[in-house]
Amino acid sequence: MGVHENTFDSTLGAYLLLLPTLVAIGAFLYYPSLQTLRLSLYKTFLFGQNTRFVGLANFAELLSSQTYLGSVGLTFAFAAIVVAGSLAIGLFVAFLLYEVSDGKAAYLVAAIWPYALPTAVAGTVLLFLAHPSVGIYTHYLEAWFGVELDWFTVGWQAFAVLAVAAIWKQVGYNVIFMLAALNNVPEALNEACELDGVETWRRLVRVYVPLMSPTLVFLVVINTIYAFFGSFALIDLMTQGGPTNATNLMIYQLYRDAFQFNNLGLASAESVILFVLVAGLTYVQLRVSDRYAHY
Amino acid sequence: MSHETQDDAAPSAITDATLVPEQWPVHAGLIGSILLMASPLLLAFVMSTQTVPEVYDITNIGAGSDGLANYLEVLTTYEMASYMLNSLVMSVVVTVGKIAVSLLAAVALVFYRFRFKNAIFFLILFTLMVPVPVRIVPLYELMAAWGWSNTLLALTGPYLASATAVFLLRQHFLSIPDSLVESAKLDGVGPLRFLWDVLIPMSRGMISGLGVITFIYAWNQYLWPLIVISDQNKQVVQVGMKYLQSVGNAGQTDWGLIMAGAVLTLLPPLVALIAFRGPLLETFGLAE
Repeated sequence: MGVHENTFDSTLGAYLLLLPTLVAIGAFLYYPSLQTLRLSLYKTFLFGQNTRFVGLANFAELLSSQTYLGSVGLTFAFAAIVVAGSLAIGLFVAFLLYEVSDGKAAYLVAAIWPYALPTAVAGTVLLFLAHPSVGIYTHYLEAWFGVELDWFTVGWQAFAVLAVAAIWKQVGYNVIFMLAALNNVPEALNEACELDGVETWRRLVRVYVPLMSPTLVFLVVINTIYAFFGSFALIDLMTQGGPTNATNLMIYQLYRDAFQFNNLGLASAESVILFVLVAGLTYVQLRVSDRYAHY
Repeated sequence: MSHETQDDAAPSAITDATLVPEQWPVHAGLIGSILLMASPLLLAFVMSTQTVPEVYDITNIGAGSDGLANYLEVLTTYEMASYMLNSLVMSVVVTVGKIAVSLLAAVALVFYRFRFKNAIFFLILFTLMVPVPVRIVPLYELMAAWGWSNTLLALTGPYLASATAVFLLRQHFLSIPDSLVESAKLDGVGPLRFLWDVLIPMSRGMISGLGVITFIYAWNQYLWPLIVISDQNKQVVQVGMKYLQSVGNAGQTDWGLIMAGAVLTLLPPLVALIAFRGPLLETFGLAE
């Protein structure tokens, strides 16, 4: 199959080269993943000292808990907003970068740097700048729009601040991939659009977006996974899931159940549910794109 | 791109002149978006030089009178220097370890023929579906059972295997010209020598790109260090941000100090991104 695969002739040699990877994925990835499945069927008592097999009771408990179902709904809403927001802004910036003819290299670095932004830094900085009492953003938003902002007590506002932080962090990544996709648009097509007098924004929506669809699908998948798993630091630093669970996404609930309440069986069941949801969403997104994307 | 020879530049010159008749809206849009994305950090930087009373004067966005004193204080009194050192050690070990382990695996997958090759490759790729949160409880228990809690081993071990690195290096090795591989074969060099003398020099761009991606990724980890490191002296800088939150006295948080910590925490990955933007963008399929 492979073009070079007869270069060396030693099965033992091949396995020796693979050994570090196989040991690492076995010990740190597959073994714990399977253990998660097993633990999800147990109940833990006395701070994890005692366990008892309970079958699917953990799952039943979660699926009948209003708090947990609320957290699931919240996570889906959060993912939808973060994915849509970071893709839309990313597309806008990537398109401008594609169009601009002077200073491209400097603009590029200035636009993609949030790729390096640590989530904890994004959370801490926005916690301060949007702080209900000392934040400069809050101050001017209130002054200009005549509204009263207090996301420490108003749930949807906390949710919005969290979403802004997550989008901010993710835009750089999206710009890189979108610009790479735009650069692959054949030059002849640009010229054809030009001759037909297609206006700029129409060209983006009608010509470029369909051509970029494989990249866009990939980014939807990656951004969804990020929204599900990557926002933990934001929640932990900014809201701790509050006010009254308004930002209690699944990853945070999982952390609390495991490491604050020592409910390891229940937390493992939550891990399994997270895995199934993300795997399912990924599968659906790939299937839908198979039908509509122009590969 | 459009300034080739004068003679056949005619069609593309028309394209340039009419595609973007006036570029000022594009520039305005870019500058606006870039300022919007950078403004939180610019403000954070300015306020990191302010004293507590200056910070509490909300609309004051002038340079503060503390100068860089907050930076010095946060690095020494609040131990940010040692958190940053811990982060640096973790990130370098993860970066070097992950690339070394993945290079070996990619050599096996490309230059050997053996049973279960596709199955093993699939097994490596499928690890993308099990991020840390999916296996966090047993992984934590495993570290405790091995006595690895609060050690560098626990911070780095779980990050060593990488589907992305193996995948990209494999693609890269597959694209190496046959003639090069053939000559190495005729010379009878072993696999490690071949890797060191031929493959690594040929893959410098890809390896630097992967290196900077891995470094940024490792530096920015938060959840796993938070759980597996309970000894504050051994903690990484991201979780150090959490320790900083309570800094201040008499009910007034010293936000200037915290912003200094945030700027310091951002600096290493930002410098890595800017310094290695070429290979980074190339690895992502975007040649500069």
